Parts: sequence; structure tokens; C-alpha cells
Amino acid sequence: MTRDTLDVDVLIVGGGPCGMSAALRLAQLQKAGGGEPLSIAVLEKAPDAGAHMLSGAVLDPSALRDLVPDFQQRGAPLATEVHQDRVYFLTRGAKLAFPLTPPPLRNHGNYIISLNRFVKWLGSLVEAEGIDVFTGFPAVELLFEGDRVVGVRTGDRGIGRHGEVKSNFEPGVDVRAKVTILADGVRGNLTKALVRRLGLAEGRAPQQYAIGIKELWEVPNDRVPAGTVIHTMGYPMRMEEFGGGFLYGMPGGLVSVGFVSGLDYPDPMFDPHVAFQHFKRHTLVSSLLTGGQMVRYGAKAIPEGGWHTIPRVHADGVLIAGDAGGFLNSLRFKGIHLAMRTGMLAAETAFEAVRKADLSSAALSAYQARIDASDVRRELYPVRNVHQSFGYGLLAGVAYSGFSLVSRGWWVRDPMPSHAGFERMKKIADYYRDGRPDPDATVNPVKIDRQLTFDRLTNVHYSGTRHPEDQPSHLIVHDTDICRTRCREEYGNPCTRFCPANVYEMVDAGDGTKRLQINASNCVHCKTCDIMDPYQIIDWVPPEGGGGPRYEGM
Amino acid sequence: MILAVAEQRDGKLNRATWETIAGAQQAGGEVAVAVIGSGVDALTAELAAAEATAVVVADHAVLAQYTADGYVQALQQIIAAEAPSHVFFPHTYQTRDFAPALAARLNRPLITDVIAIKKQGDAVVLVRPVFQGKLNADVTIGGPAPHLATFQIGAYRADAARKGSAAAPVKAAALTLDAGSIRQKPEAPFKEARQAVDLSQAERIVAAGRGIKGQEHLKIVEQLAQALGAEVAASRPICDAGWLPMDRQIGSSGQTVAPKLYLALGISGAIQHLVGMKGSRTIVAINKDPDAPIFEIADYGIVADLFEVVPALLAELNK
Repeated sequence: MTRDTLDVDVLIVGGGPCGMSAALRLAQLQKAGGGEPLSIAVLEKAPDAGAHMLSGAVLDPSALRDLVPDFQQRGAPLATEVHQDRVYFLTRGAKLAFPLTPPPLRNHGNYIISLNRFVKWLGSLVEAEGIDVFTGFPAVELLFEGDRVVGVRTGDRGIGRHGEVKSNFEPGVDVRAKVTILADGVRGNLTKALVRRLGLAEGRAPQQYAIGIKELWEVPNDRVPAGTVIHTMGYPMRMEEFGGGFLYGMPGGLVSVGFVSGLDYPDPMFDPHVAFQHFKRHTLVSSLLTGGQMVRYGAKAIPEGGWHTIPRVHADGVLIAGDAGGFLNSLRFKGIHLAMRTGMLAAETAFEAVRKADLSSAALSAYQARIDASDVRRELYPVRNVHQSFGYGLLAGVAYSGFSLVSRGWWVRDPMPSHAGFERMKKIADYYRDGRPDPDATVNPVKIDRQLTFDRLTNVHYSGTRHPEDQPSHLIVHDTDICRTRCREEYGNPCTRFCPANVYEMVDAGDGTKRLQINASNCVHCKTCDIMDPYQIIDWVPPEGGGGPRYEGM
Repeated sequence: MILAVAEQRDGKLNRATWETIAGAQQAGGEVAVAVIGSGVDALTAELAAAEATAVVVADHAVLAQYTADGYVQALQQIIAAEAPSHVFFPHTYQTRDFAPALAARLNRPLITDVIAIKKQGDAVVLVRPVFQGKLNADVTIGGPAPHLATFQIGAYRADAARKGSAAAPVKAAALTLDAGSIRQKPEAPFKEARQAVDLSQAERIVAAGRGIKGQEHLKIVEQLAQALGAEVAASRPICDAGWLPMDRQIGSSGQTVAPKLYLALGISGAIQHLVGMKGSRTIVAINKDPDAPIFEIADYGIVADLFEVVPALLAELNK
């Protein structure tokens, strides 16, 4: 088998807001600096730019202003400026408006956007600079020389579901690069492998994740005025669960409605998708959505842990940026601007390193220095313990969040102790002492009417997700015996609940027991299973290029 | 004048050709039919039965086998000579291969996957699904003619195409084609080792879902299909389990079909399945669960155990 090789100076893995900003920044540096032009490539697993992008989204335009100062004239698709912030605490039957909006949630000067449209636009600027954006090409493994990263290998095409080579087989390409910028997003498969291999997370606090589930709705025009941003706390979450809902009004009666659930819940029967349905049935939300239509669905994990959880972001030949590194401010619910900013800083570092022909980790550590001197640290460091404080319950979290505004993030123990979310999930026998729930039923069921509330399978349809069926499963469960035996007994197969796309199902094995069925073609690439599985035996790897959701307008 | 482009392979018309002719006729105004190939006299005669002002034949040795360049050049010349207001195609794989190139060459818009035509005054409004069939968009095209559009399979019924009282006149297109300008070199059509079925061409389909419970029960599905002269198909779980080959899968990750009769056995009707068969003319569903969504689109619904109903149906059919 012959494998094509492509040599570039700088390779960017992942064409999201981070990767695209990095590419654009490189083009700008090239223009300003002159000299031998650098060859730059962007790899993106989605079939076209932006197709796998999912966020709320409210954009802090600070990084955009620096990257594309004339973004308004160049037609940046910013749906609307934020005009009004509202924050509520919900109980089952009522809502309590916060008398004033907490400072981190004030969105004056920010924009409500579709991240899909925004990244598509960024991608068009990148391509206009003559940079190749290879869409439909997932990077499946890092290429090493010793411990130095020298590029990536893209995925093969045309492998059948049992691993057989099909008539349309095309081997993946080795893209070799002087510097590789990993912008492969939350729980990125390459970043995960790199961090493990080189121990980049040693001495860091465990990353904390959440899962955001979102729908795009069309409602009668005046229902949610464009520019309205609503955030909620409380119902349907309990005091032990972290999470909340959002509603963002856009022009033309479009509304983003979503719910974020911390992936550190103790109740093994908790179901983020069901929580989202309960949220929609709350009168605050249902009064805004009833009579409207759900037009899109999606889900994505969110790295919430903040400053102390960011791994070392440079090694020989490689930089980590954006969500892949955990650059997100969970107190403000914002990460796009930090993804863009770290992408830009990584680009500046990579450019300098290639020009000086010094690609060592020491040279690339200039990236960390740039981060420390930038708004990224100024924003993240003071809130470094906030998310962790919610690990001690909602009240502790709210109290500490307020305290941190005064203390600039100080706490008696800094970093505040925390655990990986999956370790906090309790066993059924410990959590349900009064009787074991049926692992195949919902503990807190919600009425599915297919108007306001939907089952997972219907929702998946509206994510536009497609994968060719005849390919190996890209969800690798290392030991499915555990699912059948230990997990069923100990945790009641929580994968069937935390997966928002009906990928995991326990079906009759024919002998009175249940076996795991993986509906890999439903996968919306949210990465939750890789994160939350209590046995850590699920590996998410990229499917054949081009597969996945199509988040048009999300 | 509307030009409806026929699709043929090895002298056999694709069934969707007549659907396209029906769509063109229902748009109103004059309709001409174009057929492309080499030695296609029999086809021309078949198409001349349509109520049309002409059958335009592009008959040339270079066109014996389909190539995108050959079809684009032939159609470009036909369109220049005939000056149609619209050019309609069936939304087949072949059309998808060359129609975008033709539109680009003509610098004219191409609207794909149209499911209906509406008239608003003189304007032709094309309806096409968006958001995976959740919404329909009305599309009007501006700018100079011709406007190109493809029709979704099953959007119009082939038997709704009107036949003329006399055979339509046949017109040979004057073509200047040069084998040297064809960049593609067609090879013998690729065949899957296992014989692939094109369910979109089936008139009757019996489809099985999870309610069938075990592979051994597929036998009665096959018997019923045989008695009805139907093809066997399935929803995703059946093919995913390997009980039937994947090319028998109906739905968003399988084939889209619009047969005259669709018999759904033990299929709950997840939206992923419905989008693949909702265009069927008559849908009959048998399911134990009265709340199954399949009943929302079924013309005839039987709330019962399929293992009781199917043997009874078989007994009746075999009488």
C-alpha cells in the first residue's frame, strides 16, 4: 500500500474557531513579515467548514476585533447584538428573577451568533488567503519521531464494518509538519493521546466537563425579541447537580434553547436529555416555544474546569489551543473568544519557531509566555476555582462565585481539590438505598409529545447526522462484557442515558440477558461517552471523513 | 417550452423519466422530451407516446455510454437550439453527476430535489424540502432562461404522465460532438459482488422492523413479499443486525422509496425511517403499539400482532 505524504510548515488540526483563527493569523504574519511563504494546512473532519460547530452561542468579540478589525464590513455573520440579559432561578412551578444580573453574565457589547455560520465565514477568509482547508479529513493519529510530533495521519476511507478493505479504499495521508497546532476541540482525540503519552497533565487538576444539548427553534416573531439572553439555574437540576438552561433570541423568530448538565452528577440514573425536556416543559420555556417548531438539534461536551485543568500546552513540535486545551471561562459560559485568542497566540509562536528553525518545546514555550501575558490569563486566573466550588453543591458554588469576585480567585487551598466527574458517579446500590430502579426505564420520566419534547432518536434526525453505515464502529468499547455484567449491576448502563444521540442501547441478547448495541451512525461527536463512562473503557475515535452532524445554522 | 430530460441506460428508460414528464406537464405549457444515447430508436418511439410537442433525440456514437462531458455538451447544444424556459431532470445519481456541470456551463441556476411545482401568475414556483424534510421552501428563479431543476424520485407519479392522441414528432438534434473532448473514460459498470437491489424502482415493498424479533421470522416476510410480488426491505435495526443486507435498508441512512404499496411490519416509524418512505402511495402498517408514529402516516393501520396478521394475509393471498 502506498500512502501519500504532504509536507507543510504549520499544520492545524481542527477547523473550528481556534483552528481557523490560527490559520488566519499565520496568513497575516506572513503578509506582514514577508520572506519565503510558509505552507499551511488545516484538517477538519466535518464535510464542510462549520458543519460540526455547536455552541450557544454568545460571542465576546474581543479576539475577533484583533483578528479581523473590519469584521463588520467583511460581513461577519453576527446575528444580533445582545440587548437584554435575564437570569432566573427556577423551581418546578415558578421562576425567580435575579434582581440584578451577576457581572460575569452581563453581555453588553457581545453578540448572539450561530457558530456554524461564524466558522463558515472564518473559513472563507482563511481560504481567501490561499490556505488549504481540507474538510472531510479527520486526523486519527499523531506521527512521532521519538517524542517529537512531526505531523498526523489522516483516516483511511473505504473500510467495511468488519475491517475489510472495500473497493473504494483510500489510505489516509501522512501530513508532516514542522509545527502541529492541535485545535481538535473538547476531548480532542489527538490531544488526549498526546497528553497521555507525554504526561502533559501531570500536576494539573482533572478537567471538568459538562454536556450542552441545544435545539434551534422557530417561534412567532415577537416571542423572544432578538438580542435577548436568558440564563437559568435550578430546576430541573437538584442541589447536587451542576447545570442550567439558556434561551437566546435571534432575528426572524429564531431561538437557541439549550441545557447544560455538569458531567459530574452522582446519580447514575441522571439523564441530561431528559433534564433538557423537563427544562423545556417549565412554564418559562414552554410559554416561549409552544406553537413554534424545532428545526435543529445538537449536543457537545464543554471543558469547564478552567485554569488549573489546562495541561502543558507545548511539547516538541506541537501546540495545543482552544477547547482542546480547556481554554474556556465557565463562569461566563464563553470559550469562543479564548479559542480564537489561543489559536492566534499559537500561530504567532509557530510562525516565529519556523522562521528561527527551532521547533523544540523550549522554543514553543513562548506560547505559554504569550498566554500568561494576554487576556486569556487575565480572564481565567481570577476564576480558577469557581467551577470546582460547584463540586461542593449549588449553594457552595454560588457563594464562592460571589466571593471570588472579591478575592480574585483566592482560596485556602489553591487549586481547590476536585475529582474527575466520572469518579463522582455513585453506584446504584449506594445511591438508591431504598430500592433498585429499572436500568432500562427513566427514573424521572417526561412526557414526549414530539411537539415540545422529543425522544433521542427523533432529535438525532434533526442534527442532520450521517455516517456511511458500512464502516467499523468509531466508538470503541474495550470490554463489552463489562456492559452486560458489572456495569448493568453497578451503574445500570449510564451510557444509554448520558449519550444524547441514542448511540448506546441495551438490547435483548436472546437468552434473557441484555447486550450492548452501538448505533455508531447516530453519533453527534459530542464526546460525552469518552468522558463520562465510569469504567473509562470507551474511546471515541474519528469515523470516516465527512461523517457526523450537519449543524446548519446552529 | 419545458424540456424534460429522459434517463436511459442500455436502451432501458429509468422509471423516473415518466415522473419527470408528468411534472413538466403539470407545470403547464408546452413540453418537449430529450433523450440522449446511441441507437435509441426504440426509446424514442416509447417516449413519443407522451403528450409532448416533440421528442428531441441526441443520437451519437460518442453518447453510447454515459459520460458527464458527453451529456453536458449534448444538452448544451440541444438547449441552445430549442431555447426552453425550463429544463427538468429526474433526481437520479446520473443527473447529480452532470447537471451541476451543465448549470455551471450555462451559467444558469439549478434547483435540486424539487417535490412540487406551483404556479403564481406566470411565475413557476418550485417547492423543495429543507431541514431534512421538516420544512418546504418555495423557490422562484430570477434571471434569464433556462432554469434547471431536478425532481425528487416519487414526487410525481409516472402513470400521471399524459399520453398524446398521436405520437409526438421526433426531431434529431444537430450535434457537433468530438470524442476527443470527452475527458472521462467509462469502464464497465461496477457491480457489487452481491447483487444490489434498487428498491427505488420497486412497485411494492414489504418492510420489516424490530417487531419481527428474530432473523428466523424473516421467512414469513419473504413469503408475503413473494405472494404480493414485492421486494423485501427493512428498517435500520434489521440491517444493522445483519439479518438483511444494507442495500435493503429504507430511511435516511438507506434508500428513499416511493412504491405504490408499502407494507410496514413491526416498524415503529422513527422519523429516520419515515423520510425514506413517506412518499409511498399507499402505506399499510401492522404494529402492536397503537401509539407507534407509523400510524400517523399510514393509510391503513392494523393494531395487532404481525405474527397473527401476516399468516392470515398469506392464506388469503394464496387462495
